[in-house]
Amino acid sequence: QEAAKYEKKVMVLDFVTPTPLGNSWGLGGTCVNVGCIPKKLMHQAALLGQALQDSRKFGWQFTEEVKHNWMTMAESVQNYIGSLNWGYRVALREKNVTYENAYGEFVGPHTIKATNKRGVEKLYTAERFLIATGERPRYLGIPGDKEYCISSDDLFSLPYCPGKTLVVGASYVALECAGFLAGLGLDVTVMVRSILLRGFDQDIANKIGEYMEEHGINFIRQFVPIKVEQIEKGTPGRLRVIAKSTKGNQIIEGEYNTVLLAIGRDACTRKIGLDKVGVKINEKTGKIPVNDEEQTNVPYIYAVGDILQDKLELTPLAIQAGRLLVQRLYAGATSKCDYANVPTTVFTPLEYGACGYSEEAAVEKFGEKNIEVYHSHFWPLEWTVPSRDNNKCYAKIICNIQDNERVIGFHVLGPNAGEVTQGFAAAMKCGLTKEQLDSTIGIHPVCAEV
Amino acid sequence: MGWEEKQVRGYSEFVETAQRYHGRPIFALFCGDKDAEGRSWCPDCVTAEPVVRRELHNMPDESVFIYCLVGDRAYWKDPNNEFRKNLKLTGVPTLLKYGTPQKLVEEECFKAELVRMLFTED
Repeated sequence: QEAAKYEKKVMVLDFVTPTPLGNSWGLGGTCVNVGCIPKKLMHQAALLGQALQDSRKFGWQFTEEVKHNWMTMAESVQNYIGSLNWGYRVALREKNVTYENAYGEFVGPHTIKATNKRGVEKLYTAERFLIATGERPRYLGIPGDKEYCISSDDLFSLPYCPGKTLVVGASYVALECAGFLAGLGLDVTVMVRSILLRGFDQDIANKIGEYMEEHGINFIRQFVPIKVEQIEKGTPGRLRVIAKSTKGNQIIEGEYNTVLLAIGRDACTRKIGLDKVGVKINEKTGKIPVNDEEQTNVPYIYAVGDILQDKLELTPLAIQAGRLLVQRLYAGATSKCDYANVPTTVFTPLEYGACGYSEEAAVEKFGEKNIEVYHSHFWPLEWTVPSRDNNKCYAKIICNIQDNERVIGFHVLGPNAGEVTQGFAAAMKCGLTKEQLDSTIGIHPVCAEV
Repeated sequence: MGWEEKQVRGYSEFVETAQRYHGRPIFALFCGDKDAEGRSWCPDCVTAEPVVRRELHNMPDESVFIYCLVGDRAYWKDPNNEFRKNLKLTGVPTLLKYGTPQKLVEEECFKAELVRMLFTED
């Protein structure tokens, strides 16, 4: 849409290769269809369940037992997503961007072949190309994985309640999904190969894991599934999962209605003909290295988003990078996308917001002697009356002593972490120091005042 | 078989007609009432109607096109009228595909390309 503003002739090729179970979706990419949007809505559904429990202590009286209906929630979520898909179609059309629901691949210099779902092929040429194909969930590569397991691509539109669920993985996707499924009242187990939330601050990752365990989510640590079998077909059916320990030969078995794989995502760069135009990719990870102007090694081909090597995989970052790129190309702008101090939030039952360095990364970069960590536990006022945990919420900042105690890492674990973190991210961009933070009066009574 | 048009007035007639054709693609255009000379109190509806009508042949076979007059201006301005409450309409004219989130509102209905997209979208 940005390029069309500058009177460029633009075409968008968007195509969703169906999941192994046949699932597909509309225009908008991962975030809108099978990522952030449905995830946050379902997380909200789970939070509302908790709020209903708390409400009795605040004086609300209701005698009926409160139950959750998966179908009602899934339908509302999908309806909202549908309106977003439609909104994008209208927006593209209004800005004169040509849209094709077709799978694009390079066939030669400046040339792309687009194949639609009926197999009809068309060729297009262009002056420049922008690749933003994103990623798809990885499968385990064990017997039964594609036939019987689901991924996040299938979960948000599942036409039946998943029931007793095994979540394989310890990524934020795994933990967020495990979190809201349990919050909706389902029996959830998480099978973890090694650590939780790799790449995130491990001190916080462990606190998140502890909180989830104390709230009824089972964790099986240091095991990986080696086989999935179907015991009984159904919606949901019954599955048997056989898993092996990572530290020996112990084998365990478990029965579940649904197995959700969330072990990582792979870039969609291997089947789009990049070799035909000479674009280099990292063979091992499939990611595309780009310079600080999002340009690949082929000058007329650019890339943004999750497929970039060594960059955070976040929607707003990809959008910003894309917009700035177009402004540089067609509007004479010079600003490059700033990949530092990008805030993010993990929507686990106890939400975690972060911006900047984790404690480990700060120690590695600056040395333990040169950083100072300030932290505290806090008890949200809203949690006091319903007697919820009084020592779980936590905030910590990491400061660089050598640079005026500049705040280089911000971490908060507690309700509304995303909302809290956003403002601090702006402050960090301005070079927030500990002294400035100390001299800022807090808002009372809110969690953010800590 | 092509498509057919049903003209209705008011919310209950609309719902009854939509339910009668359940199973077939249903498109609906909501406009303000017309006076004795056939002119609507809603100027945007006057502009949109011919644009929409010119694109009707793009609807899939078996479609039903419901042309619905919502009521007079006072009824429409009432924030609690049934169209606003139950169908979540926010303005007239509105062109929508019944049972889906796909709709075009007000000036969007003036654009033949958008109307055509609504009628032909999978």
